[in-house]
Amino acid sequence: MSAEAETNDVEPGAAPESMLIISESSENLQNMSSSLDEIKKMQPDNQDENINNVDPDDYDDISCNTIATGDDYIKDNDWLGKSKHIFVLSSAGKPIYSRYGNEDKFASYFGVMQALVSFVQADNDSLKSIHVGNTKFVFLFKEPLILVSISKTGESVSQLTAQLNYVFNEIVSMLTLSRLSQIYQQRRNYDLRRLLAGVERLIDSLLDFSDSEPSFTLGAVKCLPLAASIRDTISSAIVQSCSKIKDLVFAILLANNNLITLVRMKKYYIHPADLHLIFNLVRASESLKSAESWTPLCLPRFDSGGFLYGHVSYLSEDCQACLLLLTVDREAFFTLSEAKQKIVEKLRRANCLEGINESLNVREETCAETGFPELRHYLYKCKSTAQFYQPGVGAPYMSDYGRLLTLYRRAHQRLHSTSRPLKLLYEKSSDEVLLAWDTKGFELYVVLEPSTDKSATIALIGKLLTWIKKQEDRLFHLNAPTF
Amino acid sequence: MATRKKVLLKVIILGESGVGKTSLMNQYVNRKFSNQYKATIGADFLTKEVQVDDRIVTMQIWDTAGQERFQSLGVAFYRGADCCVLVFDVTAPNTFKSLDSWRDEFLVQAAPQDPENFPFVVLGNKVDLEPRAISTKRAQQWCQSKNNIPYFETSAKEALNVEQAFQSIARNALSQQNHTVDLYSELPEPISLTKTAPRNNGDSCAC
Repeated sequence: MSAEAETNDVEPGAAPESMLIISESSENLQNMSSSLDEIKKMQPDNQDENINNVDPDDYDDISCNTIATGDDYIKDNDWLGKSKHIFVLSSAGKPIYSRYGNEDKFASYFGVMQALVSFVQADNDSLKSIHVGNTKFVFLFKEPLILVSISKTGESVSQLTAQLNYVFNEIVSMLTLSRLSQIYQQRRNYDLRRLLAGVERLIDSLLDFSDSEPSFTLGAVKCLPLAASIRDTISSAIVQSCSKIKDLVFAILLANNNLITLVRMKKYYIHPADLHLIFNLVRASESLKSAESWTPLCLPRFDSGGFLYGHVSYLSEDCQACLLLLTVDREAFFTLSEAKQKIVEKLRRANCLEGINESLNVREETCAETGFPELRHYLYKCKSTAQFYQPGVGAPYMSDYGRLLTLYRRAHQRLHSTSRPLKLLYEKSSDEVLLAWDTKGFELYVVLEPSTDKSATIALIGKLLTWIKKQEDRLFHLNAPTF
Repeated sequence: MATRKKVLLKVIILGESGVGKTSLMNQYVNRKFSNQYKATIGADFLTKEVQVDDRIVTMQIWDTAGQERFQSLGVAFYRGADCCVLVFDVTAPNTFKSLDSWRDEFLVQAAPQDPENFPFVVLGNKVDLEPRAISTKRAQQWCQSKNNIPYFETSAKEALNVEQAFQSIARNALSQQNHTVDLYSELPEPISLTKTAPRNNGDSCAC
């Protein structure tokens, strides 16, 4: 494509080492290696020297394993008019979750869903989707649960399936897959709602979250824009305060659904899908703001068989960034609580809290404000680090960000279609020009003024990539600090 | 557990075609009866809330097709049932004789944890009709021989005993559920990280 784009040696946002596992494909928890056991079995000294320079290929085992009666509702136009219903049921057909309405009231529908899945299974086949007009019925059978999405949103089957996978992972994150399987092995008629009291709220939040922003579709996280020096200072404050704590696996600092930094134990990586669950937990739990919390949490892509224990707290009254310290040691609360205090003191002395607040208080610049008047909006994802950036939303999408997301989702689907993936998509309509580009190193989705012609578009993209490259150490987390 | 939701019970109704499974359900859930016969295709699903002692439970009733050509809902269909209702027609001896095979079929397909004590309820339907072919005694004897299955004589048409029968169904199904609760309060801590294999090693089974 553009000569300018090709002259960039490395795509913007790329880094020699990533803190996130990058994998495109969908879930396969069963094949996960047991990271937790590994950590437990490690020598106390961790033998740092030996694993310092492990080739990323050694992580293949982790990173490639990617892997009354219902009549009330039938007549309720509000319920029927929802653009996307999500249901979770046990493989026996017992209701577990419904996004809208009280699932008890339409328990019969859950029976129908189970019967459909069971009927197709009888032929050793599996039901993926049913299409009726504009409505898609998407089924995901993840032993021992069945997840169903009924959607009029125009999202593709694979996108809806991915969202159902997230819902499944959210449930696993509260129970672990081992326990979930064990429960149903012992009692197939189990009513899981007993164990999931309170988790509905997390699933509700997850669905709203993933419907209202692009990070889930992209499989990437967005960083809080920060001067590289501040981000590095924060990372080293965490490293210094925690380096002596054994069994601490991840330290994650985030604010407003943006990642500030992530420090990890050498050898262990976190998957963006797990990070999204963590973001969601913080997003959905107001109560975390009022006190230090200690919570068991299973990260399904990391290890679906067991819990990590998380010390979760906000940095301070005057800095609403949330710090999670995740360990395999369930007795570590006080150690981590102390470490947190040390971190906050260090950050305060180095004026990092102000730095974070400044970035949080500044509205992100729109394209026009950064000198690209023809550009309306874009998403840029660096594949090797699983991070993305999007500018502030300007006209004409300020009041209708949803429409922009729909455009992006459709373009994403075209690029990633399993039957006929595209490298480059250029669409011109009376409303806008949309360009989507999938390269080895990045994905770019750009929306421009409808009057922009092809050659101007190409020239703009070259300039944009140069701009992102220049800004990369502010927009992306380029280091992968470790304990 | 103050926030606990109502218990939901999966109840499967089985029996030869034409014995009145759908009519019983309709009488019970909708308080309606029709003499017209319409074969069930695959299965019908109904929901009904019912009070058992001081608890409200939701019954998810799976009304299946008695005709063989519609019985292809897959093995997963019966799994996880809390109670199975076997229905026969007191005026049609063959429908009574086939109870054995329906019961066996159910136990094979549903593969319950404890088949001996799985709750069944037997309903002898159409007692409003003459001539009677299966006596109460004969039906009761069969039920006793199968680990004392509760037996009710019903008429979907006259709404006779229907309410009582389903009350008993709910109670029996619930007893299974209560059993489940006990089982889980005995479970050890969720996942012990010190255990190398989180697989079920059988030490938590309450049987």
